[in-house]
Amino acid sequence: MASSDKPSLLMRASDTIVRSWMFIAFFIGFFLFWEYAVVWFDIPRYILTPPSLIVQKGAADLDRLLYYTYVTGLETVLGYVVAIVLALPIGLAIAFSTILRRTIYPFLVCIEMVPKIAFAPLFISWLGFGLLPKVIIVFLVCFFPIVLNAILAFNSLSEELTRFARSTGASAWTTFLKIRLPAALPQCFVGFKYAAINATVGAAIAEFIGSDEGLGFYIQIVTGNMRPDLAFAGIFFLTLLGLGLFGIVTLAERLLIPWHISVRRTTH
Amino acid sequence: MSTLIDLAGVTKVFGSGAGAVHAFGPVDMTIEDGEFISLLGPSGCGKSTLMLMIAGLLGITKGEITLAGRNVTGPQTDIGIMFQDNTLVPWRTVRGNIDLQLEMRGIDPASREDDVEELLRSVHLEDFQERFPHELSGGMQQRAAFCQAMVHKPKTMLLDEPLGKLDAMTRENIRKDLQSLWMQKRPTVVFVTHSIEEAIQLSTRVAVITPRPGRIERIIDIDLPFPRDFDVKSSPEFTAYVRETQEIFRNYGVI
Repeated sequence: MASSDKPSLLMRASDTIVRSWMFIAFFIGFFLFWEYAVVWFDIPRYILTPPSLIVQKGAADLDRLLYYTYVTGLETVLGYVVAIVLALPIGLAIAFSTILRRTIYPFLVCIEMVPKIAFAPLFISWLGFGLLPKVIIVFLVCFFPIVLNAILAFNSLSEELTRFARSTGASAWTTFLKIRLPAALPQCFVGFKYAAINATVGAAIAEFIGSDEGLGFYIQIVTGNMRPDLAFAGIFFLTLLGLGLFGIVTLAERLLIPWHISVRRTTH
Repeated sequence: MSTLIDLAGVTKVFGSGAGAVHAFGPVDMTIEDGEFISLLGPSGCGKSTLMLMIAGLLGITKGEITLAGRNVTGPQTDIGIMFQDNTLVPWRTVRGNIDLQLEMRGIDPASREDDVEELLRSVHLEDFQERFPHELSGGMQQRAAFCQAMVHKPKTMLLDEPLGKLDAMTRENIRKDLQSLWMQKRPTVVFVTHSIEEAIQLSTRVAVITPRPGRIERIIDIDLPFPRDFDVKSSPEFTAYVRETQEIFRNYGVI
Protein backbone atom coordinates (compact mmCIF):
# COMPACT_ATOMS: atom_id res chain seq x y z
CA MET A 1 0.00 0.00 0.00
CA ALA A 2 2.66 2.51 1.01
CA SER A 3 4.46 4.12 -1.87
CA SER A 4 7.59 5.07 0.04
CA ASP A 5 9.44 1.76 -0.38
CA LYS A 6 9.41 1.34 -4.15
CA PRO A 7 11.49 -1.54 -5.51
CA SER A 8 14.16 -0.66 -8.05
CA LEU A 9 13.36 -0.63 -11.75
CA LEU A 10 15.54 -3.70 -12.34
CA MET A 11 13.80 -5.67 -9.61
CA ARG A 12 10.40 -4.76 -10.98
CA ALA A 13 11.43 -5.75 -14.51
CA SER A 14 12.73 -9.14 -13.41
CA ASP A 15 9.59 -9.57 -11.32
CA THR A 16 7.46 -8.94 -14.41
CA ILE A 17 9.44 -11.50 -16.41
CA VAL A 18 9.04 -14.14 -13.71
CA ARG A 19 5.32 -13.53 -13.41
CA SER A 20 4.67 -13.64 -17.15
CA TRP A 21 7.01 -16.48 -18.10
CA MET A 22 4.14 -18.54 -19.44
CA PHE A 23 3.14 -15.77 -21.80
CA ILE A 24 6.74 -15.27 -22.94
CA ALA A 25 7.14 -19.01 -23.52
CA PHE A 26 3.89 -19.10 -25.52
CA PHE A 27 4.98 -16.06 -27.53
CA ILE A 28 8.31 -17.64 -28.45
CA GLY A 29 6.56 -20.96 -29.13
CA PHE A 30 4.14 -19.27 -31.50
CA PHE A 31 6.94 -17.86 -33.66
CA LEU A 32 8.91 -21.12 -33.56
CA PHE A 33 5.80 -22.99 -34.73
CA TRP A 34 5.30 -20.45 -37.53
CA GLU A 35 8.96 -20.72 -38.54
CA TYR A 36 8.90 -24.52 -38.84
CA ALA A 37 5.28 -25.02 -39.94
CA VAL A 38 6.04 -23.10 -43.11
CA VAL A 39 8.79 -25.64 -43.85
CA TRP A 40 6.95 -28.78 -42.64
CA PHE A 41 3.74 -28.08 -44.53
CA ASP A 42 5.72 -26.88 -47.53
CA ILE A 43 3.85 -23.59 -47.82
CA PRO A 44 4.95 -21.60 -50.87
CA ARG A 45 6.95 -18.44 -50.06
CA TYR A 46 4.53 -16.23 -51.98
CA ILE A 47 1.72 -17.28 -49.60
CA LEU A 48 3.51 -17.16 -46.24
CA THR A 49 7.13 -16.67 -45.24
CA PRO A 50 8.82 -17.73 -42.00
CA PRO A 51 9.51 -14.96 -39.42
CA SER A 52 13.27 -15.22 -39.95
CA LEU A 53 12.86 -14.26 -43.60
CA ILE A 54 10.52 -11.38 -42.67
CA VAL A 55 13.23 -9.95 -40.43
CA GLN A 56 15.90 -10.47 -43.07
CA LYS A 57 13.98 -8.97 -46.01
CA GLY A 58 12.46 -6.25 -43.86
CA ALA A 59 15.92 -5.17 -42.72
CA ALA A 60 17.03 -4.98 -46.35
CA ASP A 61 14.15 -2.59 -47.11
CA LEU A 62 14.51 -0.65 -43.84
CA ASP A 63 14.95 2.82 -45.38
CA ARG A 64 11.65 2.66 -47.21
CA LEU A 65 9.85 1.15 -44.20
CA LEU A 66 11.16 3.86 -41.86
CA TYR A 67 10.17 6.65 -44.23
CA TYR A 68 6.69 5.20 -44.67
CA THR A 69 6.37 4.77 -40.92
CA TYR A 70 7.07 8.48 -40.65
CA VAL A 71 4.43 9.27 -43.31
CA THR A 72 1.72 7.12 -41.71
CA GLY A 73 2.79 8.28 -38.26
CA LEU A 74 2.32 11.91 -39.26
CA GLU A 75 -1.20 11.21 -40.57
CA THR A 76 -2.08 9.26 -37.44
CA VAL A 77 -0.73 11.76 -34.93
CA LEU A 78 -2.23 14.79 -36.73
CA GLY A 79 -5.67 13.17 -36.96
CA TYR A 80 -5.47 12.01 -33.35
CA VAL A 81 -4.37 15.36 -31.95
CA VAL A 82 -7.00 17.29 -33.93
CA ALA A 83 -9.62 14.82 -32.65
CA ILE A 84 -8.62 15.48 -29.02
CA VAL A 85 -8.40 19.24 -29.52
CA LEU A 86 -11.90 19.39 -31.03
CA ALA A 87 -13.63 16.60 -29.09
CA LEU A 88 -12.81 17.82 -25.59
CA PRO A 89 -14.39 21.29 -25.82
CA ILE A 90 -17.33 19.92 -27.79
CA GLY A 91 -17.83 17.15 -25.21
CA LEU A 92 -17.60 19.72 -22.44
CA ALA A 93 -20.15 22.00 -24.11
CA ILE A 94 -22.59 19.13 -24.62
CA ALA A 95 -22.15 17.93 -21.03
CA PHE A 96 -23.04 21.33 -19.62
CA SER A 97 -25.69 22.54 -22.06
CA THR A 98 -29.18 21.05 -21.98
CA ILE A 99 -29.93 22.35 -25.48
CA LEU A 100 -26.80 20.78 -26.96
CA ARG A 101 -27.47 17.56 -25.07
CA ARG A 102 -30.86 17.33 -26.73
CA THR A 103 -29.71 18.27 -30.23
CA ILE A 104 -26.08 17.52 -31.02
CA TYR A 105 -25.66 14.62 -28.59
CA PRO A 106 -28.30 12.27 -30.14
CA PHE A 107 -26.97 13.32 -33.55
CA LEU A 108 -23.45 12.25 -32.54
CA VAL A 109 -24.76 8.96 -31.18
CA CYS A 110 -26.48 8.29 -34.55
CA ILE A 111 -23.32 9.15 -36.49
CA GLU A 112 -21.36 6.88 -34.16
CA MET A 113 -23.42 3.97 -35.55
CA VAL A 114 -22.07 4.67 -39.04
CA PRO A 115 -18.77 2.93 -39.75
CA LYS A 116 -16.58 5.99 -40.26
CA ILE A 117 -14.19 4.10 -42.44
CA ALA A 118 -16.96 3.86 -45.07
CA PHE A 119 -16.46 7.59 -45.71
CA ALA A 120 -12.84 7.03 -46.70
CA PRO A 121 -13.36 6.62 -50.49
CA LEU A 122 -15.49 9.79 -50.53
CA PHE A 123 -12.83 11.87 -48.82
CA ILE A 124 -10.16 10.52 -51.14
CA SER A 125 -12.30 11.43 -54.16
CA TRP A 126 -13.03 14.89 -52.78
CA LEU A 127 -9.56 15.76 -51.54
CA GLY A 128 -7.13 13.64 -53.53
CA PHE A 129 -4.21 11.44 -52.58
CA GLY A 130 -2.44 13.79 -50.18
CA LEU A 131 -2.09 14.09 -46.43
CA LEU A 132 -5.38 15.88 -45.73
CA PRO A 133 -7.93 13.12 -46.52
CA LYS A 134 -5.94 10.66 -44.35
CA VAL A 135 -5.82 13.09 -41.44
CA ILE A 136 -9.58 13.59 -41.78
CA ILE A 137 -10.26 9.85 -41.75
CA VAL A 138 -8.05 9.27 -38.70
CA PHE A 139 -9.82 12.23 -37.10
CA LEU A 140 -13.25 10.69 -37.81
CA VAL A 141 -12.22 7.35 -36.34
CA CYS A 142 -10.81 9.01 -33.19
CA PHE A 143 -13.27 11.83 -32.64
CA PHE A 144 -16.32 9.81 -31.60
CA PRO A 145 -14.90 7.66 -28.82
CA ILE A 146 -13.17 10.72 -27.37
CA VAL A 147 -16.20 13.00 -27.50
CA LEU A 148 -18.66 10.38 -26.19
CA ASN A 149 -16.37 9.44 -23.31
CA ALA A 150 -15.78 13.12 -22.53
CA ILE A 151 -19.53 13.74 -22.31
CA LEU A 152 -19.89 10.74 -20.02
CA ALA A 153 -16.90 11.91 -17.97
CA PHE A 154 -18.19 15.42 -17.37
CA ASN A 155 -21.71 14.18 -16.61
CA SER A 156 -20.88 11.54 -14.06
CA LEU A 157 -19.73 13.50 -11.02
CA SER A 158 -21.19 11.84 -7.90
CA GLU A 159 -24.19 13.47 -6.28
CA GLU A 160 -22.21 13.72 -3.07
CA LEU A 161 -19.36 15.74 -4.64
CA THR A 162 -21.85 17.93 -6.48
CA ARG A 163 -23.51 18.72 -3.17
CA PHE A 164 -20.17 19.28 -1.48
CA ALA A 165 -19.22 21.79 -4.19
CA ARG A 166 -22.55 23.61 -3.84
CA SER A 167 -22.22 23.75 -0.05
CA THR A 168 -18.93 25.65 -0.34
CA GLY A 169 -20.49 28.41 -2.43
CA ALA A 170 -17.65 28.10 -4.95
CA SER A 171 -18.11 29.49 -8.45
CA ALA A 172 -18.82 27.18 -11.38
CA TRP A 173 -15.29 27.84 -12.65
CA THR A 174 -13.60 26.95 -9.34
CA THR A 175 -15.75 23.83 -9.07
CA PHE A 176 -14.76 22.88 -12.59
CA LEU A 177 -11.04 23.35 -12.02
CA LYS A 178 -10.81 21.75 -8.59
CA ILE A 179 -13.42 18.98 -8.80
CA ARG A 180 -15.11 18.36 -12.15
CA LEU A 181 -12.01 18.34 -14.34
CA PRO A 182 -9.82 16.02 -12.23
CA ALA A 183 -12.80 13.75 -11.57
CA ALA A 184 -13.46 13.50 -15.32
CA LEU A 185 -9.90 12.65 -16.39
CA PRO A 186 -10.04 8.84 -15.90
CA GLN A 187 -13.12 8.49 -18.14
CA CYS A 188 -11.56 10.86 -20.70
CA PHE A 189 -8.54 8.60 -20.87
CA VAL A 190 -10.78 5.63 -21.67
CA GLY A 191 -11.69 7.52 -24.85
CA PHE A 192 -8.09 8.61 -25.56
CA LYS A 193 -6.84 5.03 -25.29
CA TYR A 194 -9.61 3.53 -27.39
CA ALA A 195 -8.99 6.16 -30.07
CA ALA A 196 -5.23 5.55 -29.96
CA ILE A 197 -5.78 1.86 -30.72
CA ASN A 198 -8.00 2.68 -33.69
CA ALA A 199 -6.06 5.62 -35.10
CA THR A 200 -3.59 3.50 -37.12
CA VAL A 201 -6.47 1.40 -38.47
CA GLY A 202 -7.94 4.58 -39.95
CA ALA A 203 -4.63 5.67 -41.44
CA ALA A 204 -3.88 2.25 -42.97
CA ILE A 205 -7.30 1.86 -44.57
CA ALA A 206 -7.21 5.40 -45.93
CA GLU A 207 -3.88 4.55 -47.56
CA PHE A 208 -5.26 1.29 -48.99
CA ILE A 209 -7.92 3.28 -50.79
CA GLY A 210 -5.76 5.89 -52.37
CA SER A 211 -2.20 6.97 -51.71
CA ASP A 212 1.30 6.93 -53.09
CA GLU A 213 3.21 6.55 -49.84
CA GLY A 214 2.80 5.26 -46.29
CA LEU A 215 2.68 1.83 -44.66
CA GLY A 216 -0.83 1.04 -45.93
CA PHE A 217 0.31 1.84 -49.44
CA TYR A 218 3.42 -0.28 -48.93
CA ILE A 219 1.50 -3.32 -47.62
CA GLN A 220 -0.88 -3.17 -50.57
CA ILE A 221 1.86 -2.85 -53.19
CA VAL A 222 4.13 -5.63 -51.84
CA THR A 223 1.14 -7.96 -51.42
CA GLY A 224 0.31 -7.35 -55.07
CA ASN A 225 3.90 -8.30 -55.89
CA MET A 226 3.54 -11.62 -54.02
CA ARG A 227 5.86 -10.49 -51.26
CA PRO A 228 4.15 -11.54 -47.97
CA ASP A 229 7.52 -11.17 -46.20
CA LEU A 230 7.55 -7.40 -46.86
CA ALA A 231 3.81 -7.14 -46.11
CA PHE A 232 4.49 -8.60 -42.66
CA ALA A 233 7.38 -6.20 -42.20
CA GLY A 234 4.97 -3.34 -43.02
CA ILE A 235 2.41 -4.74 -40.57
CA PHE A 236 5.15 -4.93 -37.95
CA PHE A 237 5.97 -1.22 -38.30
CA LEU A 238 2.27 -0.32 -38.33
CA THR A 239 1.89 -2.24 -35.07
CA LEU A 240 4.91 -0.43 -33.61
CA LEU A 241 3.30 2.86 -34.56
CA GLY A 242 0.05 1.92 -32.79
CA LEU A 243 1.92 0.68 -29.74
CA GLY A 244 3.98 3.86 -29.66
CA LEU A 245 0.90 6.06 -29.67
CA PHE A 246 -0.84 3.91 -27.08
CA GLY A 247 2.32 3.96 -24.96
CA ILE A 248 2.50 7.75 -25.01
CA VAL A 249 -1.16 8.02 -24.00
CA THR A 250 -0.66 5.49 -21.20
CA LEU A 251 2.39 7.40 -20.00
CA ALA A 252 0.38 10.63 -20.00
CA GLU A 253 -2.31 8.84 -17.99
CA ARG A 254 0.20 7.73 -15.39
CA LEU A 255 1.60 11.24 -15.08
CA LEU A 256 -1.78 12.99 -14.97
CA ILE A 257 -3.87 10.62 -12.86
CA PRO A 258 -1.44 8.49 -10.81
CA TRP A 259 -4.14 8.34 -8.12
CA HIS A 260 -6.63 6.49 -10.27
CA ILE A 261 -7.41 2.85 -9.61
CA SER A 262 -6.79 1.67 -13.19
CA VAL A 263 -3.30 3.19 -13.06
CA ARG A 264 -2.55 1.96 -9.53
CA ARG A 265 -3.44 -1.60 -10.51
CA THR A 266 -0.93 -1.69 -13.34
CA THR A 267 1.97 0.07 -11.63
CA HIS A 268 2.55 -2.09 -8.59
CA MET B 1 -29.53 29.22 24.45
CA SER B 2 -31.23 30.66 21.43
CA THR B 3 -32.96 29.05 18.50
CA LEU B 4 -30.57 28.38 15.62
CA ILE B 5 -32.64 26.26 13.28
CA ASP B 6 -36.39 26.52 13.03
CA LEU B 7 -38.51 24.06 11.06
CA ALA B 8 -42.14 25.03 10.39
CA GLY B 9 -44.40 22.58 8.59
CA VAL B 10 -41.46 21.22 6.57
CA THR B 11 -42.71 18.73 3.97
CA LYS B 12 -41.02 16.92 1.11
CA VAL B 13 -42.86 15.31 -1.77
CA PHE B 14 -40.85 13.68 -4.56
CA GLY B 15 -42.37 13.77 -8.02
CA SER B 16 -45.85 15.06 -8.82
CA GLY B 17 -49.30 13.89 -9.87
CA ALA B 18 -50.20 10.22 -9.46
CA GLY B 19 -46.56 9.16 -9.03
CA ALA B 20 -45.86 11.59 -6.20
CA VAL B 21 -44.21 10.12 -3.11
CA HIS B 22 -44.87 11.88 0.17
CA ALA B 23 -41.44 11.33 1.71
CA PHE B 24 -41.34 13.57 4.73
CA GLY B 25 -43.30 15.79 7.07
CA PRO B 26 -44.98 17.97 7.94
CA VAL B 27 -42.51 18.53 10.75
CA ASP B 28 -42.13 21.35 13.27
CA MET B 29 -39.02 21.54 15.40
CA THR B 30 -36.54 24.03 16.79
CA ILE B 31 -32.87 23.32 17.27
CA GLU B 32 -31.04 25.38 19.87
CA ASP B 33 -27.64 26.96 19.49
CA GLY B 34 -24.89 24.63 20.72
CA GLU B 35 -26.96 21.48 21.11
CA PHE B 36 -26.18 18.05 19.73
CA ILE B 37 -29.38 16.69 18.25
CA SER B 38 -29.73 13.30 16.62
CA LEU B 39 -32.21 12.46 13.91
CA LEU B 40 -32.79 8.80 14.69
CA GLY B 41 -34.75 6.44 12.48
CA PRO B 42 -34.63 3.41 10.21
CA SER B 43 -33.28 3.73 6.68
CA GLY B 44 -35.72 5.32 4.28
CA CYS B 45 -37.44 7.37 6.99
CA GLY B 46 -36.39 10.68 5.47
CA LYS B 47 -33.79 11.72 8.03
CA SER B 48 -31.16 12.36 5.34
CA THR B 49 -33.77 14.19 3.30
CA LEU B 50 -34.40 16.49 6.25
CA MET B 51 -30.67 17.09 6.69
CA LEU B 52 -30.26 18.02 3.02
CA MET B 53 -33.22 20.40 3.27
CA ILE B 54 -31.64 22.15 6.26
CA ALA B 55 -28.40 22.45 4.24
CA GLY B 56 -30.40 24.03 1.41
CA LEU B 57 -29.24 21.31 -0.97
CA LEU B 58 -32.72 19.91 -1.49
CA GLY B 59 -35.84 21.97 -2.12
CA ILE B 60 -38.68 22.06 0.41
CA THR B 61 -42.11 21.20 -1.01
CA LYS B 62 -44.04 22.98 1.75
CA GLY B 63 -43.14 24.82 4.94
CA GLU B 64 -40.15 26.88 5.96
CA ILE B 65 -36.69 26.42 7.41
CA THR B 66 -34.89 29.26 9.13
CA LEU B 67 -31.18 29.01 9.89
CA ALA B 68 -29.65 31.68 12.13
CA GLY B 69 -32.59 33.98 11.40
CA ARG B 70 -32.39 33.63 7.62
CA ASN B 71 -34.79 31.73 5.42
CA VAL B 72 -33.15 28.72 3.76
CA THR B 73 -33.76 29.03 0.01
CA GLY B 74 -30.46 27.77 -1.42
CA PRO B 75 -27.21 26.07 -0.37
CA GLN B 76 -26.02 27.26 3.05
CA THR B 77 -22.32 27.97 3.01
CA ASP B 78 -21.70 28.69 6.69
CA ILE B 79 -22.22 25.11 7.81
CA GLY B 80 -20.07 21.98 7.80
CA ILE B 81 -21.51 18.86 6.18
CA MET B 82 -20.43 15.25 6.29
CA PHE B 83 -22.24 13.28 3.63
CA GLN B 84 -23.17 9.60 3.78
CA ASP B 85 -20.44 8.77 1.29
CA ASN B 86 -17.43 10.84 2.17
CA THR B 87 -16.39 13.64 -0.16
CA LEU B 88 -12.66 12.93 -0.11
CA VAL B 89 -11.38 13.19 -3.67
CA PRO B 90 -8.97 10.39 -4.70
CA TRP B 91 -6.47 12.73 -6.39
CA ARG B 92 -5.61 14.65 -3.21
CA THR B 93 -3.92 13.59 0.00
CA VAL B 94 -5.64 13.89 3.37
CA ARG B 95 -4.07 17.33 3.75
CA GLY B 96 -5.02 18.26 0.18
CA ASN B 97 -8.60 17.20 0.79
CA ILE B 98 -8.85 19.39 3.86
CA ASP B 99 -7.31 22.28 1.93
CA LEU B 100 -9.88 21.68 -0.83
CA GLN B 101 -12.65 22.93 1.45
CA LEU B 102 -10.64 26.13 2.01
CA GLU B 103 -9.66 26.57 -1.64
CA MET B 104 -13.27 26.16 -2.77
CA ARG B 105 -14.14 29.01 -0.41
CA GLY B 106 -11.35 31.22 -1.69
CA ILE B 107 -9.33 30.92 1.53
CA ASP B 108 -5.56 30.52 1.18
CA PRO B 109 -4.69 27.21 2.92
CA ALA B 110 -1.31 28.64 3.93
CA SER B 111 -3.11 31.12 6.18
CA ARG B 112 -4.82 28.27 8.04
CA GLU B 113 -1.87 25.92 8.40
CA ASP B 114 -1.90 25.92 12.20
CA ASP B 115 -5.64 25.26 12.37
CA VAL B 116 -5.34 22.32 9.99
CA GLU B 117 -2.46 20.87 12.04
CA GLU B 118 -4.49 21.16 15.22
CA LEU B 119 -7.53 19.62 13.60
CA LEU B 120 -5.49 16.69 12.31
CA ARG B 121 -4.01 16.13 15.77
CA SER B 122 -7.44 16.19 17.38
CA VAL B 123 -8.51 13.18 15.26
CA HIS B 124 -5.07 11.48 15.43
CA LEU B 125 -4.30 11.88 11.73
CA GLU B 126 -1.20 14.05 11.99
CA ASP B 127 1.04 11.22 10.73
CA PHE B 128 -1.23 10.41 7.80
CA GLN B 129 -1.71 13.81 6.23
CA GLU B 130 0.36 13.01 3.14
CA ARG B 131 -1.49 9.73 2.51
CA PHE B 132 -4.11 9.35 -0.19
CA PRO B 133 -7.64 8.27 0.80
CA HIS B 134 -7.22 4.80 -0.71
CA GLU B 135 -4.24 4.22 1.58
CA LEU B 136 -6.39 4.73 4.69
CA SER B 137 -8.77 2.48 6.59
CA GLY B 138 -12.48 3.30 6.57
CA GLY B 139 -12.22 4.84 10.02
CA MET B 140 -9.30 7.06 9.07
CA GLN B 141 -11.14 8.15 5.94
CA GLN B 142 -14.08 9.27 8.05
CA ARG B 143 -11.74 11.13 10.40
CA ALA B 144 -10.24 12.90 7.39
CA ALA B 145 -13.71 13.64 6.02
CA PHE B 146 -14.60 15.10 9.41
CA CYS B 147 -11.61 17.47 9.22
CA GLN B 148 -12.64 18.45 5.70
CA ALA B 149 -16.15 19.24 6.93
CA MET B 150 -15.06 21.51 9.76
CA VAL B 151 -11.81 23.16 8.65
CA HIS B 152 -13.69 26.36 7.79
CA LYS B 153 -14.90 26.53 11.41
CA PRO B 154 -18.64 26.31 10.89
CA LYS B 155 -20.86 26.96 13.89
CA THR B 156 -23.34 24.37 12.63
CA MET B 157 -22.49 20.83 11.55
CA LEU B 158 -24.72 18.41 9.71
CA LEU B 159 -23.43 14.84 9.91
CA ASP B 160 -25.23 12.24 7.80
CA GLU B 161 -24.47 8.77 9.22
CA PRO B 162 -20.74 9.49 9.34
CA LEU B 163 -20.04 6.23 11.16
CA GLY B 164 -22.57 4.11 9.28
CA LYS B 165 -20.11 2.03 7.33
CA LEU B 166 -17.59 1.37 10.11
CA ASP B 167 -17.12 -1.62 12.37
CA ALA B 168 -18.37 -1.45 15.96
CA MET B 169 -14.97 -0.88 17.57
CA THR B 170 -13.96 1.89 15.19
CA ARG B 171 -17.37 3.52 15.68
CA GLU B 172 -16.90 3.51 19.45
CA ASN B 173 -13.49 5.08 19.06
CA ILE B 174 -14.61 7.88 16.74
CA ARG B 175 -17.71 8.59 18.86
CA LYS B 176 -15.39 9.33 21.76
CA ASP B 177 -13.35 11.80 19.70
CA LEU B 178 -16.48 13.37 18.25
CA GLN B 179 -17.87 13.90 21.73
CA SER B 180 -14.74 15.52 23.11
CA LEU B 181 -14.49 17.79 20.07
CA TRP B 182 -18.10 18.85 20.53
CA MET B 183 -17.56 19.48 24.25
CA GLN B 184 -14.51 21.63 23.45
CA LYS B 185 -15.93 23.78 20.65
CA ARG B 186 -19.68 23.46 21.25
CA PRO B 187 -20.89 23.74 17.65
CA THR B 188 -24.51 22.94 16.91
CA VAL B 189 -24.60 19.41 15.57
CA VAL B 190 -27.40 17.70 13.66
CA PHE B 191 -26.44 14.03 13.64
CA VAL B 192 -28.25 11.57 11.39
CA THR B 193 -28.05 7.96 12.57
CA HIS B 194 -29.94 4.69 12.72
CA SER B 195 -28.15 3.52 15.87
CA ILE B 196 -30.23 4.03 19.02
CA GLU B 197 -27.25 3.65 21.30
CA GLU B 198 -25.14 6.06 19.28
CA ALA B 199 -27.87 8.71 19.30
CA ILE B 200 -28.35 8.48 23.07
CA GLN B 201 -24.64 8.42 23.83
CA LEU B 202 -23.83 11.55 21.82
CA SER B 203 -26.91 13.77 21.96
CA THR B 204 -28.49 16.35 24.15
CA ARG B 205 -31.76 15.52 22.38
CA VAL B 206 -32.89 12.69 20.14
CA ALA B 207 -35.59 13.24 17.53
CA VAL B 208 -37.14 9.84 16.89
CA ILE B 209 -38.34 9.64 13.29
CA THR B 210 -40.84 7.07 12.00
CA PRO B 211 -41.14 6.28 8.31
CA ARG B 212 -43.61 6.62 5.41
CA PRO B 213 -43.95 9.52 5.50
CA GLY B 214 -41.08 10.51 7.80
CA ARG B 215 -42.40 12.24 10.93
CA ILE B 216 -40.87 13.19 14.23
CA GLU B 217 -42.63 10.82 16.61
CA ARG B 218 -41.06 12.14 19.79
CA ILE B 219 -38.16 14.31 20.89
CA ILE B 220 -36.37 12.86 23.90
CA ASP B 221 -34.18 15.00 26.16
CA ILE B 222 -31.14 12.97 27.16
CA ASP B 223 -30.33 14.09 30.66
CA LEU B 224 -27.01 12.35 31.24
CA PRO B 225 -23.66 13.90 32.19
CA PHE B 226 -20.93 14.42 29.59
CA PRO B 227 -18.55 12.86 28.73
CA ARG B 228 -20.59 9.75 28.27
CA ASP B 229 -18.08 6.97 28.67
CA PHE B 230 -18.57 3.27 29.37
CA ASP B 231 -19.76 3.94 32.92
CA VAL B 232 -22.57 6.15 31.71
CA LYS B 233 -23.48 3.68 29.00
CA SER B 234 -23.89 0.86 31.49
CA SER B 235 -25.97 2.98 33.88
CA PRO B 236 -29.67 2.18 34.41
CA GLU B 237 -30.61 5.67 33.17
CA PHE B 238 -28.92 5.05 29.83
CA THR B 239 -30.64 1.68 29.52
CA ALA B 240 -33.97 3.33 30.28
CA TYR B 241 -33.48 5.78 27.38
CA VAL B 242 -32.60 2.92 25.05
CA ARG B 243 -35.75 1.09 26.17
CA GLU B 244 -37.97 4.12 25.70
CA THR B 245 -36.67 4.58 22.16
CA GLN B 246 -36.97 0.92 21.28
CA GLU B 247 -40.55 0.97 22.49
CA ILE B 248 -41.46 3.69 20.00
CA PHE B 249 -40.01 1.74 17.09
CA ARG B 250 -41.59 -1.49 18.33
CA ASN B 251 -45.02 0.11 18.59
CA TYR B 252 -44.53 1.40 15.10
CA GLY B 253 -43.61 -2.05 13.81
CA VAL B 254 -40.13 -1.01 12.74
CA ILE B 255 -38.37 -3.46 15.07
